[in-house]
Amino acid sequence: MREEPSPYRRLRSLMFLVLTAFGLLPLVAMLLGGLAAERRAAGTRARSVLEAMVKNRKATVDLFLEQKMRQLELVAVSVPVSQLARTPVLESTRHEMQREGGAIVDLGLIAADGRHLAYVGPYDLLDKNYTGQPWFEQVMVRGRYQSDVFLGFRQFPHVIMAVKKREEGRDYFLRATLDTDQLSALVREGGLESGADVFVLNRAGEYQTRYADQHRLMEKADLPPPPPHSGVRITEVSRGARRELVATAWLTGDTWVLVARQPVPGLAAVGWGSPVVWIALVGLVLVPSLAYLIARHGLHQIRSLEEERAKLYESVAQSEKLAAIGRLAATTAHEINNPLAIIAAQVGVLQDTIRDTEFLSQYPQLQDRLTKIAGQVERGKIVTHRLLGFSRRIGPLVEPVDVVAALDETLSFVEKEADAARIRFVRDYAPDIPLVRSNLGQMQQVFLNVVNNAIDAVGHDGEVRLGIRCARGGVEVVAADSGPGIAEADLERVFEPFYSTKGGQSRHCGLGLAICREIMRSLGGRISAASISGGGAAFTMWFPMQQESR
Amino acid sequence: MAELRLLLVDDEAEFLEPTAARLSRRGIACSTVGSGEDALRALRTAPFDCAVVDVRMPGMDGLELLRLIRRDYPAVPVILLTGHASIDLGVRGMDLGAFEYLLKPVDLDELLDTVRRAATEASGRVPPT
Repeated sequence: MREEPSPYRRLRSLMFLVLTAFGLLPLVAMLLGGLAAERRAAGTRARSVLEAMVKNRKATVDLFLEQKMRQLELVAVSVPVSQLARTPVLESTRHEMQREGGAIVDLGLIAADGRHLAYVGPYDLLDKNYTGQPWFEQVMVRGRYQSDVFLGFRQFPHVIMAVKKREEGRDYFLRATLDTDQLSALVREGGLESGADVFVLNRAGEYQTRYADQHRLMEKADLPPPPPHSGVRITEVSRGARRELVATAWLTGDTWVLVARQPVPGLAAVGWGSPVVWIALVGLVLVPSLAYLIARHGLHQIRSLEEERAKLYESVAQSEKLAAIGRLAATTAHEINNPLAIIAAQVGVLQDTIRDTEFLSQYPQLQDRLTKIAGQVERGKIVTHRLLGFSRRIGPLVEPVDVVAALDETLSFVEKEADAARIRFVRDYAPDIPLVRSNLGQMQQVFLNVVNNAIDAVGHDGEVRLGIRCARGGVEVVAADSGPGIAEADLERVFEPFYSTKGGQSRHCGLGLAICREIMRSLGGRISAASISGGGAAFTMWFPMQQESR
Repeated sequence: MAELRLLLVDDEAEFLEPTAARLSRRGIACSTVGSGEDALRALRTAPFDCAVVDVRMPGMDGLELLRLIRRDYPAVPVILLTGHASIDLGVRGMDLGAFEYLLKPVDLDELLDTVRRAATEASGRVPPT
């Protein structure tokens, strides 16, 4: 491919960029809008999933805790203190409770003074007195109590539940410890999406269950518990660089709150499945490709227009150049022709005069010298007339012309000159050449120029072959010489003005063929040059049957 | 046929004089004038069989003179003679009714021949009174 000049390349790049930009703009807008919508939809989906999950977990945990409390109350109501105070009975009761849902670590019966009446479990707590412990006071007042996770005497995180039992006017307390691991397992049961988190906080915002490893029981969570509310509440918060959905639900009694959080679905959640993404991707490939093609095509159009214009300009410039030369030639010819006419007239008078006198016997060379002057005037006249391309035949510009006769007549002008140089004309005319409507004078001027060139090219001792035939709806005349021929590179240049291979000393100004080409154009015909293999040049002139009116 | 009466119009006296001399030798009665205005004056005073007119002259040029002769003396054929060659000029001259258009320097025999043809054709066209 041709290397394009840089202004074209720049223009093409510009067109490409603008087209691409305008093509991609709506695409990008669509992509962004589409992704935002997808993201919103994903967010809504995530919210409802989260809400359902939290509602479900809250119900599970509520049920679990309520069940434990009921079990404890049932025991307190149905088993007398005398029985419960006996370790084996308490132990079997613990077993019973353990079987129905587990999670009971130990069980104790405590008197109103805070002492253990009986205790079954892994710890050694029998001699501990709970008087003054916050939970103890609570259960005395309220009758039932469930603690947050705390360390207590055993210095290990645990949750206790206690119920008051009144028997024979005295208060007793049945107290059980819940397995915090089991509670945590319950909360996180069923698993969660990656990056999500679910746990229980107390009112102080301390972890009551563990989900992820970083949760330490009883430590403050990084988000405060919301004020008590009913149902599930979902909020969106920033956590570091990312946005999170946080769902909260207060458990029955409003002491613990179930918290679940998960990242707001990002673009990654929209993913490759979205048609928006596919359309955008196809567009990303298609738009620049189309832009490139359009830019290339557009540029091609512009270039050909430019080239056409340049050609037109060139031909106009060429015509103007020729016209200027023509004007100059005409003026010059006038200036020269007038003195030539005077010289001719004066010489004529002298010739007339001496013919009748005795002069001739005294100056025998006088007549000869006058003839020579007249001959030189004639020569000058031929030069000016040829330079002008003047045709004496003034008449209708276009008429039926017999090409054969026109060529033969032209040849007769130069036959003498050719004979002297021993150059032969070989005629090869097809029969029945039709008349063409053309300008005889101009046609002959072209013939004369081409034949003169051929004679000059041959020099001496050779031939010029002349052919006439019908071709391409017109008449074609070929003049082929046996001269040295024309170099391939010069075949087109010979028609340029001032181009001459004949050297500076010649009487030719290098305009002949340029004028011929102009004339052939004005006649609606064509002239071209070719090299003949084996030497020589051939000029082909084609005339249409009918000259177009100009 | 009687001697032809020719009016030769040219601003170049050096051309007029020898040309007239040569034509006179060949049986043409030549009157010479140096301008279009003089030519019209001459035409008013004497009859002519033919006029040879230079195209380029100061004052009234050859084409204008041709037009006036064609209008006022249609029986007098006009031959244009010029050193200035252009097809345009020739066509305009022929359109204005010139008999022929000759280029300087003209061969005397050609000029003679043209003048005789012009006079003959003119006399054939316009019956003598």
